[in-house]
Amino acid sequence: MGRQQSVDSIVEHLFRNEAGKLVAVLTRIFGPSNIDLAEDVVQETLLAALDNWAPGKIPDNPAAWLTQVAKRKSLNVVKQLKTVQSHRKDLYAADSNYDEASEIFLDSEIQDSQLRMIFTCCHPSLPMESQIALTLKILGGFSIKEIAQALMSNEETITKRLYRAKAKIRSDEIPFDIPSGNKLELRLKGVCLSLYLLFNEGYNSSHPQMFIRKDLCLEAIRLTFLLTQHFDGRAEFYALLALMCFHAARLDARLDREGAIVIFEDQDRSLWNHELISKGFNYLREASKGDRLSEYHLEAGIAAEHCMAKDFKETNWQSIYDQYELLYGLKKNPIIKLNMAIISSQLEGIPKAIHALEELISDKELETYYFLYATLGVFNLKIKDYEKAGGYLSHAKSLTSSEKEQQFLNKRILECQM
Amino acid sequence: MQEFLLILKGDGMSTLSPDEMQQLLLKYKAWVQKLGDQYVAGQRLQNKGSFMKNKDNVMTDGPFLEPKEMIAGYFVIRAKDQNEADTIALSSPHLGLYQIEVRPLVQPLMH
Repeated sequence: MGRQQSVDSIVEHLFRNEAGKLVAVLTRIFGPSNIDLAEDVVQETLLAALDNWAPGKIPDNPAAWLTQVAKRKSLNVVKQLKTVQSHRKDLYAADSNYDEASEIFLDSEIQDSQLRMIFTCCHPSLPMESQIALTLKILGGFSIKEIAQALMSNEETITKRLYRAKAKIRSDEIPFDIPSGNKLELRLKGVCLSLYLLFNEGYNSSHPQMFIRKDLCLEAIRLTFLLTQHFDGRAEFYALLALMCFHAARLDARLDREGAIVIFEDQDRSLWNHELISKGFNYLREASKGDRLSEYHLEAGIAAEHCMAKDFKETNWQSIYDQYELLYGLKKNPIIKLNMAIISSQLEGIPKAIHALEELISDKELETYYFLYATLGVFNLKIKDYEKAGGYLSHAKSLTSSEKEQQFLNKRILECQM
Repeated sequence: MQEFLLILKGDGMSTLSPDEMQQLLLKYKAWVQKLGDQYVAGQRLQNKGSFMKNKDNVMTDGPFLEPKEMIAGYFVIRAKDQNEADTIALSSPHLGLYQIEVRPLVQPLMH
């Protein structure tokens, strides 16, 4: 009896995951200028599932069902377009027969299409913010609303951004392929950076809805994993993947039951996801097989040190400090200096760290960075300089719009007054 | 028991994200299950067709109406009266995405 079937028999996010896959596959048929068309056909496919599964039965293999329907619909579209516009060169399947187009739907080819889509969405001629929105929409199957929330933007802005990005793909004739040789070398860095930023959007976002942030992180991990599978032996992909696993493992411990921020030192390490941590170590091992040392290697190495330590006190601070120093040699980012100053509190004591942090206030990029002042506030609180602490904490509060961060700061400010 | 036609108007599903569609599917399926024998039929209409005002005024290749006025699909349900039919329509997960018109079907007289 179909109607007796449990409604929970399809996995969470099945539609989202399949939509991401199918848009990539159909774009290979329709060409990157027609991503919209691919999205429409996928939308129609999901609607067909609703028509058939709601009053009837959910098939035993829902993903295969969706693929079949998408395939049939897309081949029909090609047939129609061929009759209307006989010279459409951009349609992959236009001159090939049904069987050839069908091959694109094989499992191995689906992965290939997704990789092409990563390189198209992360093309350097698109602005970084568009790359991230596009990746989330097209590869991740996220809604405009979810993307807007995750990126702390609004739906109108995201819609415009996606529209412009697709127009740019058309006008610049951005290809739908996986670069090789020298071209690949040029593109790898950019793709790594896009996925790294996508991950960070999830990890650092102060959005109150935890699940959206987590989904963003997991999507970045999924796509990076795809890259490691295809470019076996590319050390920086493994390093990036390891880094993401180590950070994602700690995601649940960053907020307490009431949803308030828990600082690293106070996190309950039993909440860390040990499966992700051990995956992280496996990937880090793969990453160290190559002879390259990328910034992701160092960042993963630092995260690994944290994950290895039994508790906060046991952390190998010297090793972390040294890796930050190497990292600063690779990219001169003042945030690395900030992290080094924080680590130095463990090595040389809080007063020296405060001194180092105060020197950073004059840095243009950190001038308005709430975290610098929050750290200064917390450090001064620790050495019981309540007056200075209160000043820094209030200043930090004026620099953040996140409720959670403000709550955290308010609590500390109260401590100063006690 | 009497049969009712639920007419769904609008273009509510065209902008749903995959996740939202999946949630709708689960609610929709639960709704049909809960109705049991009171659910008779239901179908979505394709977004095209033709429109005939009279013999001389035939329009093809729509749309002919504003998206929010378009009939998107229908359900046929059984209920003991208009009240129960309205309650069923109010419990439909499609309400909100679509406007729903609840109309009793005229039963042919039996001789």
